[in-house]
Amino acid sequence: MTKSLKMPILKMTARNVSVAYGSKIAINNVSIDVDQDEVVAFIGPSGCGKSTFLRTLNRMNDTVASARVTGEIKLDGQDIYSPDMDVVQLRARVGMVFQKPNPFPKSIYENVAYGPRIHGLAGAKADLDRIVEKSLRRAGLWDEVKDRLSDSGTALSGGQQQRLCIARAIAVDPEVILMDEPCSALDPIATAKIEELIHELRGRYAMVIVTHNMQQAARVSQKTAFFHLGSLVEYGNTSDIFTNPREERTKDYITGRYG
Amino acid sequence: MSDTLVPQIPTTNAEPVRRVPTDWTTQAMQSRIRRRYASERRFRFAGLAAVWLSAAFLAYLLITMVMQGASGFVETRVSLPVDLAAAKLPIEPARLVGRGADLALAGAGLEGTVLAAASAKYGKDGANLLSDGAWAVVRDAIKADPSLLQRKAVFEVPVSSPIDVAAKGNGTPDAEAVVARLKASGALSRGFNAGFLTSADSTDATRVGIWGAFKGSLLTMVVTLLLAFPIGVLSALYLEEYAPKNRWTDLIEVSINNLAAVPSIIFGLLGLAVFLGTFGMPRSAPIVGGLTLALMTMPVIVIAGRNAIKSVPPSIRDAALGIGASPVQVVFHHVLPLALPGILTGTIIGMARALGETAPLLMIGMRAFIAAPPSGLKDPATVLPVQIFLWSDQVSRGFVEKTSAAIIVLLVFLLAMNGVAIYLRNRFETRW
Repeated sequence: MTKSLKMPILKMTARNVSVAYGSKIAINNVSIDVDQDEVVAFIGPSGCGKSTFLRTLNRMNDTVASARVTGEIKLDGQDIYSPDMDVVQLRARVGMVFQKPNPFPKSIYENVAYGPRIHGLAGAKADLDRIVEKSLRRAGLWDEVKDRLSDSGTALSGGQQQRLCIARAIAVDPEVILMDEPCSALDPIATAKIEELIHELRGRYAMVIVTHNMQQAARVSQKTAFFHLGSLVEYGNTSDIFTNPREERTKDYITGRYG
Repeated sequence: MSDTLVPQIPTTNAEPVRRVPTDWTTQAMQSRIRRRYASERRFRFAGLAAVWLSAAFLAYLLITMVMQGASGFVETRVSLPVDLAAAKLPIEPARLVGRGADLALAGAGLEGTVLAAASAKYGKDGANLLSDGAWAVVRDAIKADPSLLQRKAVFEVPVSSPIDVAAKGNGTPDAEAVVARLKASGALSRGFNAGFLTSADSTDATRVGIWGAFKGSLLTMVVTLLLAFPIGVLSALYLEEYAPKNRWTDLIEVSINNLAAVPSIIFGLLGLAVFLGTFGMPRSAPIVGGLTLALMTMPVIVIAGRNAIKSVPPSIRDAALGIGASPVQVVFHHVLPLALPGILTGTIIGMARALGETAPLLMIGMRAFIAAPPSGLKDPATVLPVQIFLWSDQVSRGFVEKTSAAIIVLLVFLLAMNGVAIYLRNRFETRW
């Protein structure tokens, strides 16, 4: 990774974030910065809380009644857990792609158009058409589906569905995209396409990706955070983490000694 | 990342252990396989037998109903010559048009004329051959063609109930003898009983109709559906999507489940006490029937609705929330459309049960004898199952076939209602 002279612009900051489900503590005192034009990868063994932490970044944990989040998470300097933060708007600004591709059981067009429509981003039909095309192009899916936009989104292959979900997320023009193991249900070719896509989207959106695949983390991210048992063990430049980890636990994990 | 960090699978030089293949041909193995196949066959046979048995029961029910009920749609008629010119009914031709015509003809003594004609043609018991409604046929014919008043004409009029039953082969010996005589003279004929589909209850089996009860059922069902469906669906949505999971919602859930199991007559008592007693609503009215049945149907819709909503994959909710849909948008754009087929299935079951319900409606007075179809929600009415119950209770033999005919009408109503619901369900069915 080349060092740029430009000062990185902080997009999201998390300070001393803890998450508890009832009395069980899932995330303990985690602090992380996400820069404007970076991809951050979260790695760690199953159940270490990386997905939980990811979901605090756009308040998806709100849907879990027993979840309690403490600490401070800011988007552009604004506390996202403050009472005057509108959750709906937050989730439009911080989009999410899930582990299992989950297109709506509607047409491909409707899948992408849904977000802009509910947020009133497109006035006329022509605007909406343009947004749909642009989003599908950015997601690298346009050429494959342009002739069958009215087909069901669920009729696509797994990799196409996941790219459709990415198109759906970028259609509302978010600032940050969170990806929760976006390739875990995909074959290597579809995975490569998604990784390529992440490369292309970098710079336009800040991205956070949770992954179990360490090669993937090494390939797509500039920074990597290693979680273990709910704590952040190590956070730094990806190149450093994978070649010269500071912590013994990080080294053990990436060499496959546990996890 | 350097290649050296990728761990290698450890290899050993030890000789692999030879495996002894399982012998599948031994006696024990073979008999186990035979037993497995036998149990497979037994199970399939039992399942098939169950299906055939229930199909046979259904076929028996339908066939006997149609066989017995079909004659309820047919009436026996006797030809009756009436010399209207000779009778000289005191009536002005101008009064034969418009609404006053019925009254004018009745006032002019047409009924007496018709009965006299019957006596003249078929002896002194002739009047007993005719249905109470026979003269109305003559009346309607005159209304259609006033020139009949100036000449002698032959009318096909419905016979009285004992003769009708005898003509269909099930009468008393006396009536059978009369029928045989009439048949020999070629005076009897049969025809479709249109009155059965257009009139309401009556004391005379030949004059009864199902329309009153049908309309009562229709109005009652509309009230039930309009109340139970939205309330049931909204309750289900709230309980599943919004309500916190705590002791109160547990209590509500248990109560709703119990409510669905409460005997229907209890709902009738409730309706009697609350709607009639406390609110002073009219007795026997479709609105009260609908309210009572809505109470009964609602828990069924809530339970089915909750199950349908639960089965919507959480990933769809996540997807919608993830791009910034508000909870209401998630519910109405995604959860409800996907749950609708299941909700409709529950509604079909609930409505079918409500349509066939008798007991609670007896409690709120819908078993009264109602001789005119209801023209509004507050008019006294009865419903199809209650009408069937009332007719089956009648002593007169003519009501037996009418009861079966009413059952056919009820079944057709039920099938039509379910057909609509199934059509709607299939339209909303989506795969994910």
